[in-house]
Amino acid sequence: MPSPMLDLTDVRLELRSAAGMVNILKGISLQVEAGERVGLVGPSGSGKSSLMMLMGGLERQTGGQVRVAGYDLSTLDEDGLARFRRDNVGIVFQNFHLVPTMTALENVALPAEFAGRDDAFELAAEGLKAVGLGHRLEHYPGQLSGGEQQRCALARALVVGPKLVLADEPTGNLDTETGQQVIALLFDLARRQGTTLILITHDNALAERCDRIVRLADGRIVEDRTTAALAAAQ
Amino acid sequence: MRGFLPLTQFLPLKLARRELRGGARGFRILIACLMLGVGTIASVQSLSRDVLGGIDSQGRTLLGGDLAVRMMYHGVDADQLKALDGYGAVSASADLRGMARTEDAGKSTLVEVKAVDDAYPMVGKVQLAPPADGLTLAQVFAQKGDLWGVAVDQAVLDRLGVHVGDRVKLGTLDFEIRAVIAKEPDKIGTGGFTLGPRFLIARASLPATGLEQPGSMIYYDYRILLNPGQSVPAAKAELSRRYGAAGWHVRDSRDAAPEIRNFITRLATFLTLVGLTALLVGGVGVGNAVKAYLDGRIAVIATMKCLGASGRTIAWTYLIQVMALSAVGIALGILVGAVTPWALRDVIASHLPVDVQIGFHPLGLALAALYGALIALGFSLWPIGRARSVPAGTLFRELTQPAGGRPDRVMMIATGATLAALVVLVLVTSRETIFAAGFAGGAIVAFGVLGLAARGLTALARRAGRIDSLRRRPTLRLALANLTRPGAATVSVILSLGLGLTILVAIAQVESDFRGEIQAVMPAEAPAFFFLDIQHADRDGFRKAIGEIAGVTSVETVPSLRGRIVAVHGVPAEKAIVDQRYAWVLGGDRGITYSTAMPPRSHLIAGEWWPADYHGAPEVSIAKEVMLALGLKIGDELTFNIVGRDMTAKVANVREIDWGGMGINFSLVFAPGFLEGAPQTEIATAYAPRAVEPAIERVVNKDFPDITMIGVRDALATVDGLIGQIGIAVRLTAGIALVAGTLVLAGAIAAGERRRIYDAVVLKVLGATRGTVTRAFLIEHGLLGLMAAAVAIALGSLAAWAIVVPVMDLHWRFSIIAAFGVAVIAAVITLAFGMVGTWRALGRRAAPLLRNE
Repeated sequence: MPSPMLDLTDVRLELRSAAGMVNILKGISLQVEAGERVGLVGPSGSGKSSLMMLMGGLERQTGGQVRVAGYDLSTLDEDGLARFRRDNVGIVFQNFHLVPTMTALENVALPAEFAGRDDAFELAAEGLKAVGLGHRLEHYPGQLSGGEQQRCALARALVVGPKLVLADEPTGNLDTETGQQVIALLFDLARRQGTTLILITHDNALAERCDRIVRLADGRIVEDRTTAALAAAQ
Repeated sequence: MRGFLPLTQFLPLKLARRELRGGARGFRILIACLMLGVGTIASVQSLSRDVLGGIDSQGRTLLGGDLAVRMMYHGVDADQLKALDGYGAVSASADLRGMARTEDAGKSTLVEVKAVDDAYPMVGKVQLAPPADGLTLAQVFAQKGDLWGVAVDQAVLDRLGVHVGDRVKLGTLDFEIRAVIAKEPDKIGTGGFTLGPRFLIARASLPATGLEQPGSMIYYDYRILLNPGQSVPAAKAELSRRYGAAGWHVRDSRDAAPEIRNFITRLATFLTLVGLTALLVGGVGVGNAVKAYLDGRIAVIATMKCLGASGRTIAWTYLIQVMALSAVGIALGILVGAVTPWALRDVIASHLPVDVQIGFHPLGLALAALYGALIALGFSLWPIGRARSVPAGTLFRELTQPAGGRPDRVMMIATGATLAALVVLVLVTSRETIFAAGFAGGAIVAFGVLGLAARGLTALARRAGRIDSLRRRPTLRLALANLTRPGAATVSVILSLGLGLTILVAIAQVESDFRGEIQAVMPAEAPAFFFLDIQHADRDGFRKAIGEIAGVTSVETVPSLRGRIVAVHGVPAEKAIVDQRYAWVLGGDRGITYSTAMPPRSHLIAGEWWPADYHGAPEVSIAKEVMLALGLKIGDELTFNIVGRDMTAKVANVREIDWGGMGINFSLVFAPGFLEGAPQTEIATAYAPRAVEPAIERVVNKDFPDITMIGVRDALATVDGLIGQIGIAVRLTAGIALVAGTLVLAGAIAAGERRRIYDAVVLKVLGATRGTVTRAFLIEHGLLGLMAAAVAIALGSLAAWAIVVPVMDLHWRFSIIAAFGVAVIAAVITLAFGMVGTWRALGRRAAPLLRNE
């Protein structure tokens, strides 16, 4: 039986703040299979972003084990984590975070360039065409609309064909219609590449489109169900 | 070991080019700081190499020949002259000091007499001012009846109130002024510091002046133009070997003006170090600019890390950007340095007695560029190192705090290594290694102390902000909060502005103390006149004549000879030096006397003084400096060459001399019984109030025309004027460091503009008037200026004390004027920039900013 794409075992996270040590995650155990689409929901401060950061190697757990795509992330140093992300993880942010001094093509090519791919720009051009921005290759982020910027970010996240995509409120700064277009693209591309998708959202309808919903509250998983099961329960 | 270069070798270059599309606006201050510091060093390097190159290329002209032989008291004999003729063409001259007087003896002035033969000058040409510019020297000097001609410096005419065509007396001989000297080709090759203007006469006229007497302090010079095919070094070595024991001092054209050369070299070293100070201050500006730029790129850095960029890729990407823009600043500085000599060509020509050859000096410019590159690298590695450590998770937490803390170990080591390389470069390229080492150490200490002081003051300001009575004043509270908030540039502004101000305070205090000593203390204790070349036969008559003038409190006379130490226990003196700091005791002839009693203003620190009726073997009393130079002890045997003859004497005692009183004193005093028969003159001092000085001058001019008279107060006034000029020059260079500090301040204000605009908008929304907002910002900047001034006054005064008391051995007085002046300068600078920043902030409309929030 193939190992899960994500295997979190009793993961704890404590962080130091001005008020002292804060328990962010209090023993999370979660397994996600390859190709699954998981909606991560919960109120503010429940630990969603922290959990996503652990999955992406952007934060180190205080206790427990985090295995992603077969890697035990605690064994990797900073550069090792960077290489891990480069080869395996795509991230989509709420605020897009495109580099303002680079064109759409250059932004999308970045992960492939970091990976040393000679065909980085060819891959980037294909990725932009796949998201409907084939005619905006040389435009700068400042020249793109919000939806176009997020589609560009989407192309960047998927350009090297990562095994895992982490999307943190990808439609948070978009109007409803544009957001739906972006989500449709995200789901479609992820399905086609067989990419595992972890999606943080406050939008219940959007969460329902995922295969599974994991609900966090106060640093713990309080609900973990498939959406088909919910429909069946209703 | 993993390579330092990232795996994808050229990717950081591509990323850097893309990033720079955003423009270099944030780097204007960085470019300006580097341009200023590099430009200063490059200018100094270019100018000094031009001047030194001029001295080197004109060695023959400056010396007046290939070789110059100098003797004192007497010239060469006929056989020796014949020997010199065998080397090539010879020109003989005599140099001495004398008193030029008006016909009625009403006015007199000290002059530097040069009596030249028909062959002079063998190289170059004496240029005479119009209308005499068409005359030859032979025509100027020609004897018409009993009247010889003289060419003089303009200063002689000014001081005596005479004109071309008038008569003046030198000694007992009348001269007609026939020309004014515009340029003397070998003036600086003759010697160093001179007190009087030039009085150029024919050699044949000197005996008739009555000044050429046995024991008179006259230098006899023989300039030689070697026959073709002769080697200068070989000829010099041969002459030194054959006649060195006869007291001949031989120089060659390769080192024609050592005093000027040393002065220019030292000045260049000093000014280069000042330029380096400005560059160091500019380095703070570089660091601030890089930090501000990187703070604005945190999101991009974190994004690239999320996308898989390694720390090395990040570091290289931003290092390439910083160094590329630094190269622009360095290049502009090099351009300034290359052009400066051309721009100052006329100024240099009017102030230096040597033709300067303006040229292009790639080595000097390269050195300046290297300094600039090391500074840029050294001050940018730290913020780049911190930025490289920005966690990728920053984006998820939406952190807006800039990168803080220390960079990783690699970057800290790289920073240290770069700054160490800078120190090594300073030491290796400076000819004054000890001075440069002192500068490097002093700069490190100054930065450290300034940084600590700045942090201390900031902490004090933070505490003051919590005092209840101050907290209730919103404008003061806001000002203190802005000065002490995390990320404020307060420390770096105090450090950089403070360094320039500290130098100004130190210079002002040292100059004030030194000039105060000259103007107030010294004249009170100093004699009114020194008198030279008093013949032994005239001594008693002179003492009686001067002593009888009403108001004269005392007249002292002392026998005076010239000689030098040639050996210690048979070892040549140059090889016997143990402390190079006092090697000057062997440089040239020194004044020597003999006495039964110990001279005043001296006290014994070793040995015993001989009794008044001493009749033993030759003994000598030496000054402490001589003892330190040669490591002497009581009983050591010294060999002297006095008036061309060697004699040996044992050290009987060592004296510490108080030179500050300016009375007559000698570093070498012989016991009686050995020098009385040697050719000698007397020197004398007369103590009298200023009102009596004209009466003394009249008596000497009328009855003792052969005696040279030096007015001490006039000499001190000359020195005071020189110090004033040097003080201006040094202040100008310190001003460069201050300009660099001002650039740092400008950069800090520019970096804080966004925050200032935000504050202004929010305060206006809450009901504050424009006046209230303006007051808050001005208080903030005024306090910043006062903090910088406080640090500068404290440290500058301390530095001044360290120079004045232990080094110069003078009295230190705190100068309120210097302190107040610096405080005003600091406040004006910070308030002026603060006003500009405030004006810009108040001019912004609130709505767009609030809408974005």
